[in-house]
Amino acid sequence: MTVEAKPKHALGVAMKRKEDPRFLQGKGNYVEDVVLPGMLHMAIVRSTYPHAEIASIDITEALKVPGVKAVITGKDLEAAGLGWLPTFHGFDKQMVLAIGKVLFQYQEVAAVFAESRAAAVDGAEAVQVDYNPLPVVADPFAAKRDEVILRPDRESKTNHIYHWEVGDKDGTARALAGSATRIKERIWFQRCHPAPLEPCGCVAHFDSMGRLQFHVTSQAPHVYRTALAIVTGIPEDKIHVIAPDIGGGFGNKVPVYAGYVCAVVGALKLGRPVKWIETRTENLTSTGFARDYHMDVELGATNDGKLTALSVSTAADHGAFDAAADPSKYPAGMFGVVTGSYDFPVAHAEVDAYFTNKAPGGIAYRCSFRVTEASYAIERAMDILADELGMDPVDLRRKNFVKKEQFPYSSALGFTYDSGDYDGNLLKALDMIGYQALLKEQAEKRARGELMGIGISTFTEVVGAGPSKHFDILGIKMFDSAEIRIHPTGAGIVRAGTKSQGQGHETTWAQIVAEELGLDPQTIMVEEGDTDTAPYGLGTYASRSTPVAGAAIVTAARRVRDKARKIAAHLLEVGEGDVEWKDYKFQVKGVPAKTVTMKEVAFAAYTNPGPNEPGLEATNYYDPPNMTFPFGSYIAVVEVDRDTGEVKVRRFLAVDDCGTVINPLVVEGQIHGGLTEGFAIAFMQEIQYDAEGNNLNTNFTDYLLPTSLETPKWETANTVTPSPHHPIGAKGVGESPNVGSPAAFVNAVIDALSPLGIRHIDMPITRDKVWRAIHDAQAKKG
Amino acid sequence: MKLQYSGQERIAAGVEPVWAFVNDPDKVGHCLPDVIEVTVQDPTHFDAVVAVGLGPVRGRFKFKFQLQPDAAARRMNMKISGGGLGSALDLTAGADIVAVDPSTTLLNWSGEAVMRGPVAAIGGRVLDAQAQKLITQTFANVRTKVAG
Repeated sequence: MTVEAKPKHALGVAMKRKEDPRFLQGKGNYVEDVVLPGMLHMAIVRSTYPHAEIASIDITEALKVPGVKAVITGKDLEAAGLGWLPTFHGFDKQMVLAIGKVLFQYQEVAAVFAESRAAAVDGAEAVQVDYNPLPVVADPFAAKRDEVILRPDRESKTNHIYHWEVGDKDGTARALAGSATRIKERIWFQRCHPAPLEPCGCVAHFDSMGRLQFHVTSQAPHVYRTALAIVTGIPEDKIHVIAPDIGGGFGNKVPVYAGYVCAVVGALKLGRPVKWIETRTENLTSTGFARDYHMDVELGATNDGKLTALSVSTAADHGAFDAAADPSKYPAGMFGVVTGSYDFPVAHAEVDAYFTNKAPGGIAYRCSFRVTEASYAIERAMDILADELGMDPVDLRRKNFVKKEQFPYSSALGFTYDSGDYDGNLLKALDMIGYQALLKEQAEKRARGELMGIGISTFTEVVGAGPSKHFDILGIKMFDSAEIRIHPTGAGIVRAGTKSQGQGHETTWAQIVAEELGLDPQTIMVEEGDTDTAPYGLGTYASRSTPVAGAAIVTAARRVRDKARKIAAHLLEVGEGDVEWKDYKFQVKGVPAKTVTMKEVAFAAYTNPGPNEPGLEATNYYDPPNMTFPFGSYIAVVEVDRDTGEVKVRRFLAVDDCGTVINPLVVEGQIHGGLTEGFAIAFMQEIQYDAEGNNLNTNFTDYLLPTSLETPKWETANTVTPSPHHPIGAKGVGESPNVGSPAAFVNAVIDALSPLGIRHIDMPITRDKVWRAIHDAQAKKG
Repeated sequence: MKLQYSGQERIAAGVEPVWAFVNDPDKVGHCLPDVIEVTVQDPTHFDAVVAVGLGPVRGRFKFKFQLQPDAAARRMNMKISGGGLGSALDLTAGADIVAVDPSTTLLNWSGEAVMRGPVAAIGGRVLDAQAQKLITQTFANVRTKVAG
């Protein structure tokens, strides 16, 4: 790839990221870098028990620790009306600090404020909490029995949170009953955690005007401002949220956490700034986890492999509070995309969610709300069906793809897919990987008893939430926004309601503006994360930045151009109707020599606007007409060591289609990062709890991150099928690799093991699980 | 995480001195390995502060001990609860004092520990062996201190 440092024009150019020099030189500005005069530090006392009554909390010794200024408990907050915090989709609430009892291990019990972080930690250690342990509900199946009711605070005295379903249940049952071939498998997408390298944290400070200055590592600063206003009763104009540089979010920094409320209360109570930065353990044990879906997947097909029906029934483990942060009308997110890339005549999906004694969450970890779970379920099930039919998984997929000419395509579960060319994308991937040669090699190896696997995943995502008629969070519609100001010299600033956490918005947003206005992207500054300056937006998660805010930027830029056209007409001394935008400048129609550049127009906007309103700026709030549907074909090639269970990923090819590409370098970076996360999920990561409710993966020695030593070499390519409803045809890409890759890895391992009769292993595919599966299979065969 | 242990100590002393020893909270408390402080509350209750180092968990743990002697059966039951550094440990242990001959006594002990928090997260890799060592060392100390 040719990387251009300073392209003249912008769209589709692999321009170096404008933000990288400061990150590479260690000059990023993170919440931890915020140091204010007189700042106190906060530490949180956390529950050692997963379920227990709080008999007493004794803060006497903590207050004696040198430097400790105050300790607050749930009772203090309850007395101030701040005991509970609404969860984002509005159906549940969660305790800020435990009131009466604790519901998960590491739950927040008290907050300690002190002159230094060390003193705060010492103070937290000195708080004496007496617990009376209660029985633990460790999984959704135990929760379903309602023998122990975890949430007596709720009107409904059951651990069942909700039932959600979509599709034709009876029709699906009939179609399955009449299908010549059926497969059924319980597929668990394990509980995992986004584990951003920068944990959560904030600095809360009431300034001399009594205004809350709240620095926080947030993916959705405006929603935080509104949520803080709702929770604390502080008028929203008295809250200024500033999200500085963010060291990764992946959905983990969407919810508002208890620590944030405590820091604000501490700052108010003590009249001094309060900083709270989580430890790694706190991040892994108490902030939003992801997945934990137990999915019973059933497929029906004719004997020649034509799909007849899909049924998925899911038990979801939501932990102690329902804090999934899904859009209000979608408690199970976009799980309805579980039909994937395939043309099902009928389908049905249902999800039942339960409370358990685990940390709350179920957030969209690099995923557009449960799309990863859905994609994994259908892509695993397709391979199991192929095995049942004795068909090549490639042939089964190609036979059932939604055809190019079927778009816009109405899926059996209610989505309207915008565009796609699944077969073309897969054929490119097969050609690049050399599929036929791999099959030949595999046959030869199998003849020698060697275990080689080829795994395919041809996923479709739904991203870009979303159209206001369907999508809201806390009642706020899921539009997004942009404001563009072009300065007299032709430089400019774009502000958006999104918040980059590494996605490269400072580069791609500038490229969009530069492309639309014929300006140099290097002179377009991008600012996000400051609620005093950026227009209101719902933030960055669920791959919504480019589909929604990206479209707002395009639309605002075109409004700037419309205004500029009037000034250009004045400069060119013609009527506005005689001016056209061509080759990145205005020219008089039919007179190519008579032109004026945007830079010249910008100067005139402030010096010689003629009859026009001075200035050159525009704002847009974009309400997308539909979601976008990125897709791709991923192929993994693995070798499995029969004696040790070790899996070696020999090759991995990702051919993505995210519509129009704004910056191929940024897209490639996104794909590499997401594939690495997908690899970790497939082979390494799980947040496990033992039967007593202990979290067993509380740090990076137990919750593994792949380093460059483990990470395979990624091969990438793309096809381009623009979205017809997005103003530049872009679809979003950040989450595709995390959504699509786990199934490719697991399908490859199971393909390698299939000669032994092994059909499924739940992730993470650790070597001991593989070794055991091999030995069990061999024992069964005798 | 639940862990179960059992073991036997052969003590070169008669039953009565052994029984008297295990009924003395101060003496029992000082048999804990790496004990820092023992505070006797009453004849059957004492608190102890112990230095703990398990993998990344290092610091002081505070425990409350309750002795539950059954003189007729010559059995000492013990309930221990406490913790530190965000971890909790509940332990029930029992020891049968059995006379072998006038100058030899067997201490047949067993215990079950429930661990919570970072200590539990350390898991079987480290915890089982360490806890076994701790509990074994405690009863071994009883043996040497009674005999000595």
